[in-house]
Amino acid sequence: MIELDKVCFAYPAQGPTVQDLSFRIGDGEFVAILGANGAGKTTTVRLIDGLIKPTSGRVIIDGTDTASSRVSDRARRVGFLFQNPDRQICKNTVREEILFGLETVRGEEGAEALGHRADEVLQEFGFTGEEEPFSLSRGQRQRVALASILAVEPSVLILDEPTTGLDYRECCHIMDQIRTMNREKNVTVIMVCHDMEIVLDYASRALVMSGGRLLDDGPVPEIFRNSALMERASILPPQMIGLSLRLGRGFEDADTPESMADAILRRKKEG
Amino acid sequence: MIEIQDLSFTYQDEKKPALEGISLSLREGDFLGIIGPAGAGKTTLGRAISGIVPHHYKGDFYGSVTVGGMDTVDSSLIDISRLVGMVFQDVDSQIICPTVEDELLYGLENFGIGRDEIPERIGFALGKVGIPELRERSIGSLSGGQRQKVAIASVIALKPRVLVLDEPTGELDPQSSRQVFTLLRELNEEFGITIVVIEQKIMLLCEFARRLLVLNEGKAVHEGETRQVLSHAEDLENIGVNIPRVATLSRALSRKTGKEIPVCINLDEAEKTARGLMA
Repeated sequence: MIELDKVCFAYPAQGPTVQDLSFRIGDGEFVAILGANGAGKTTTVRLIDGLIKPTSGRVIIDGTDTASSRVSDRARRVGFLFQNPDRQICKNTVREEILFGLETVRGEEGAEALGHRADEVLQEFGFTGEEEPFSLSRGQRQRVALASILAVEPSVLILDEPTTGLDYRECCHIMDQIRTMNREKNVTVIMVCHDMEIVLDYASRALVMSGGRLLDDGPVPEIFRNSALMERASILPPQMIGLSLRLGRGFEDADTPESMADAILRRKKEG
Repeated sequence: MIEIQDLSFTYQDEKKPALEGISLSLREGDFLGIIGPAGAGKTTLGRAISGIVPHHYKGDFYGSVTVGGMDTVDSSLIDISRLVGMVFQDVDSQIICPTVEDELLYGLENFGIGRDEIPERIGFALGKVGIPELRERSIGSLSGGQRQKVAIASVIALKPRVLVLDEPTGELDPQSSRQVFTLLRELNEEFGITIVVIEQKIMLLCEFARRLLVLNEGKAVHEGETRQVLSHAEDLENIGVNIPRVATLSRALSRKTGKEIPVCINLDEAEKTARGLMA
């Protein structure tokens, strides 16, 4: 359980970046944080990760305040996938990269156990382990970074723009893998994402931010149907939601092309 | 403006060709979007149009690329770059000066632009891109979107006739991405600059590009007017290219009704199609 209680944060010599932020995220949720540039999304996920500490208020992860927890404890609980995988990859082979994170966070388990865990993850992700990360495509490098984070088995996974620079297929591949972790291992996923079609496809709840404050918090299809909210947050809703709003009553549940086509043909039949 | 005939290119020390048998003809003032999965050859094609392939990146080059009547193999990179400006995928590798003004000055001085003309060119480029207030700023203090605009400004200060951009919105949010494409449209419509833009965001291409080229494994899969290319939705999906949800919707409607429903590429068209069917 993640709990933010009246959290404010200001970088030195700047006005507050987030203000009066309070919300709870339960285990196994898949949450998207939405908002324009400068809304405070990245600051919020950094606060959850404990990379920065609130100026006032509290961030509590599984009962422990991040202000007093140790970095190694937090690293065990919370994994952070950056936008650019090259900022986190530092080893020459995929296996070394995965072992590096494991040794840092779970070193006490001993080389044999960690080696075994690394092999498990390599298999899960379909890597041999001998690949050189920097000779792989950006999508593959993003998957290497994800593999080394998930190897540690965090209970929370934070994604900051995970699909930037990826083509559509790579994007689906990585998001599907994250969804599997969320469903099968009950990993809590918190994602900052600008692609609303991806948010609609994968997230079940959205926090909408603007100017450092939380504007709204709710289930995903519904939040996109709130036109006034979307306008305030400068968000263009996913296409099928936009279309269903234009078509009005009878199209409330049509949020995929398939269900939209069915709704249109049903209406046609009814005349 | 751009004539490409049966172009194949294999980078030195590589076995697999990056491009194979590409032919393309663009008139002055065209606006072309290039899309395709990673490793499809998009960047290599952008480099070939701007002459960086084969002048900078060596390899086996077959076929021909002519820009504004100049054969890129026979012309010097300097002559080509007076006609073609390129904005790289990684803007940080393009920007080399500490301040915005210096960055623009660098290109202009390299081109031998007269001292009396330089202030006007810098003012024009920054104004066009919408960042005149950033003129004195240090590059390090700018956001990703701002740096992207500086890279574009430094290229348009040179007044190219062709502008090639490699994923210019890769790191930008939806609003800044639209701003970049709105700028490209203005440059295209006001000055007739030919635009070639490599882009993964299909919805932007649907809205702004008049032509599309789909690449896969070095080969052209489809090329033509945006709408016509999108009517091959199935081929695009098969190679892993995203299509807008409204296009998926028109396909689903065709399948379910058994009738040929024209492909929708934006929300207005989808609404019209839906209302037409229900009427």
